[in-house]
Amino acid sequence: MSAARFLLAGLFLISSASAQSAPPVEAPAREAPADIYKSVIRIEVASQVPDYSTPWNAGRFSGGIGTGFIIGKNRILTNAHVVSNGRRILLNIYGSPQKYAAKVEFIAHDCDLAILSVEDFTNFEKLPVFTFGEVPQLETQVRVIGYPIGGDRLSVTRGVVSRIDFSAYSHSRADSHLIVQIDAAINPGNSGGPVVQDGKVVGVAFQGLRQADNTGYIIPTPVVKRFLRDIEDGHYDSYAELGLGDFPLFNPAMRKALKLPDDNTGVLITNVTPTGSCDGVIKPGDILMSIDGKQVDSAGMVTIDGEDVDMHEIIERKFAGDKVALRILREGAPKDFEITLKPLSWSRMYAIQYEVKPRYIMFAGLVFQPLDTNLFAASKFDDVTLRRLYGDFVPKGIFQKRPDIVVLTRIESDPLTSQLSDFAGYAIDKINGTEVKDLKHANELLHPKEKPEFFVIELFGAERPLVIPSGEAETATKRVQQAYDIEQLSNLED
Amino acid sequence: MKYSAPVLFALALTACEPPKQEAAAPSAVPAASAPKPVEDRAALKQSVVRINSTLQSWNPSQPWEKNPPGQRRALAPIVGKNQVLTTGELVADATYLEFESTDGTRMLPAKVIAVDFEANLALLGPADDEKGAKFFEGTIPLELAAPPRIGDTVDILQVEENGMPLLTAGSLQSVDVITNFLEGQFFLTFEVKASMQSAASSFSLPVLHQGKLAGLLASYNAKDQLSDVTSTELLARFLQAAKSTPYAGFPSLGINSARTEDPSFRKWLKLSDDQGGLYISNVKKGGAAETAGILKGDVLLSIGEHAIDRRGYYPHPTYGSLFWSHLVRGERSTGEVVSLGILRDGKPLKLEVTLTRSDESKKLVPSYTFNQAPNYVVKGGLIFQELSKPLLEAFGEDWRSRAPLNLIDALENPEKYEARADRIVFLSGVIATPATIGYERLRNLVVKKVNGQEIRDMKSLAEAFKKGTDGLHSIEFEDENLTVQLDEATTSAVDKQLLQRGIPRLSRVK
Repeated sequence: MSAARFLLAGLFLISSASAQSAPPVEAPAREAPADIYKSVIRIEVASQVPDYSTPWNAGRFSGGIGTGFIIGKNRILTNAHVVSNGRRILLNIYGSPQKYAAKVEFIAHDCDLAILSVEDFTNFEKLPVFTFGEVPQLETQVRVIGYPIGGDRLSVTRGVVSRIDFSAYSHSRADSHLIVQIDAAINPGNSGGPVVQDGKVVGVAFQGLRQADNTGYIIPTPVVKRFLRDIEDGHYDSYAELGLGDFPLFNPAMRKALKLPDDNTGVLITNVTPTGSCDGVIKPGDILMSIDGKQVDSAGMVTIDGEDVDMHEIIERKFAGDKVALRILREGAPKDFEITLKPLSWSRMYAIQYEVKPRYIMFAGLVFQPLDTNLFAASKFDDVTLRRLYGDFVPKGIFQKRPDIVVLTRIESDPLTSQLSDFAGYAIDKINGTEVKDLKHANELLHPKEKPEFFVIELFGAERPLVIPSGEAETATKRVQQAYDIEQLSNLED
Repeated sequence: MKYSAPVLFALALTACEPPKQEAAAPSAVPAASAPKPVEDRAALKQSVVRINSTLQSWNPSQPWEKNPPGQRRALAPIVGKNQVLTTGELVADATYLEFESTDGTRMLPAKVIAVDFEANLALLGPADDEKGAKFFEGTIPLELAAPPRIGDTVDILQVEENGMPLLTAGSLQSVDVITNFLEGQFFLTFEVKASMQSAASSFSLPVLHQGKLAGLLASYNAKDQLSDVTSTELLARFLQAAKSTPYAGFPSLGINSARTEDPSFRKWLKLSDDQGGLYISNVKKGGAAETAGILKGDVLLSIGEHAIDRRGYYPHPTYGSLFWSHLVRGERSTGEVVSLGILRDGKPLKLEVTLTRSDESKKLVPSYTFNQAPNYVVKGGLIFQELSKPLLEAFGEDWRSRAPLNLIDALENPEKYEARADRIVFLSGVIATPATIGYERLRNLVVKKVNGQEIRDMKSLAEAFKKGTDGLHSIEFEDENLTVQLDEATTSAVDKQLLQRGIPRLSRVK
């Protein structure tokens, strides 16, 4: 109902996958397997994961193995999570020890896809190029090809399509799209590998389920094709959102009160995200009857190509700037609206961010950081007000007043701050009486032209304000900078 | 990044009951008419009884029924004519209380004369006076000891299964103002170091000093061999207060406070180095402090003649440094007037505060609800309850992170709701019925209105449901643009079925 989106902890990402498909449970079609295998690329990534708990540090250097496959001239498709925060990406062609340096051309964290290119494509030219098929039918067989753990060489597993669903993509922790579940084992290293049926790619292997056996998930081609179309203009724009929260209208009494016929149509709009696509047009209390002429049923499903799918699937297939026609009932009367879709960048508050450097300010031993899901994941925030600010940030439009929720995350011990350690984990309300809008604003308030006698920092939910005498702040900052080896006092940009 | 509780020593109390008690502090004299010191060890048997308690709390998710019962035992001192002192914990949610003679030959149903769950003390007597007189015949009440000093030896009294008294000597290690039962309730407590054995499966025991009653052992930590013992001072004050009905209890100021050790903070508050001071971070609505005109941001410098240091301690003549709250909840009675030294904007001032007791039952979110059947309404399968801290605690050990944020918020920031509600009424769950189709996932939503009526408590909810309009009931929630409807005809049919299926009653509204 609201935009609180915490996701399935059980999902895990895998790092390489491959598949081939055949018609249901019969002898595998005769293909030239060796040929196809050649285009399945092993990806070796060295990455640097930023450290949100000590934001001035370089972070953790690590790495992993994934799979990719050639989909065009110097275009290798893989999962975003395979190359996220990558510092060095090396590719191996099937059966050859030679490594080729690659770089990320496009990356879409919300649908876990990325396009890589190599500096010199010459040796890849002669390899076949994969083409895409449609969403595989239930019960049909697919092959997963990739470089999973358990050995160094290419691995092929075979499975059956078990379920087609609209479900969570665990890489960003905040997104759900069309997903296909298969019963082939998908293991770490499989990620980014092709899932093949009748010689065509029908999906990209990307995640599994820890608590279940034989449950692999693949990104189906509608999602892949959407990504490829999105980047045609040379830039990934991400998904557009309606910005609506809804409640199903199964209940006969509720339908009666809303004067709706007993025909299983329509959902109640309960929330309209401020600044979102529908803000100012749709209101809470409206009943959404159809999207682009497709009738919305009382569970929020529409029928596309004979299949019942979540109504958001219509929006999923569109791009920012596209129009969508909504029919609603307001006070019993139907009304039609044409909405221009736009992405809601604020909703990334609930997604893990990649390729960004953590922002922070260190001032007199106090460390300030903007609240986001990365910081949340790295910290243990108990304070109720802070957690409510996080949950309400998008649904209640808090970002309009405070683009950042600035949090006092650490207190480095210093003669000036040694009594303040209890104040970590609170959100900042005001500095010297002024409401803090974002991290830059906090930085300005902490470095005013005319120094006040005290910096008085008011925290949401803390028992008292923090007070730093401005005469001592500068020396304390220097002391802490030296003692804790903090090269830069702040990073105000992503 | 470690977060620690901000209001470590906060007294979260609001005042209520009018003071019933004379202002003078009672002297440390027990309630007994003519008690005699008991010296002979075997004779100690005549001064104690066992208490068997059957405890049964209410089921937090199905408030019409109780949880499976549990058992507790205690060895309790006889402190007056047919009167027995024990911990409040022993009678919390007790469905049956029974005295048992130490030799295990005689039993007698018992009743609670007075109980203070905050101080963790209860005074019991026989349910039937006549039978009681017989049961207590020949017993010798224990006299209250003079308060022991740190370093004194005290004796912990146990009685073995065979009826033999067992005395374990321990030393009074320290005296502190801490809680030994309910979170946030701080009282003067002795820390006694003694190596004890389990006897008759009970660690709720009398503690003696020179043959007289010096305290009640409330908890024992076998690893550190340390016991929390309710102090003699507290026993005396409780026994005194228990004489008057209704029980007046221990007063409170109704403030939250913060330490002022931080030198920068002190400069800002204009506190000089020779001053102590506690920063008043919150003044509870309707509490003694608010009535006396104390403001958030004031600095508390002294209570009575005692200066309060920057960490909140004052020098006690015998126990050394004690936390300030003992000056209110221990040294003084409800109704007493105390003079507070305050620093406001750098200027000192004196305020006279009449101490009052905060009535837990009048709080927006009560922090304990022992022996009270919870209010609820079941309507068509929707379950409505009144929020209490025990309901939040039912979310498990880490309830502070697991319980729904909107409900924790109501507990921690009651001032947001107090003007428009006396209780937080919320939809705690949904039984799947024909009336609740499509509502199954709803839970933990605070109810704002029912049939257009503002909801202040369970009573107003029950009344609002009586006012059906057009055969439909509408329910609106706080923070959600969602009005849920119940069909009156379906709901009545469902309610009948629920009764047939064994829900004893569809509401409890007091």
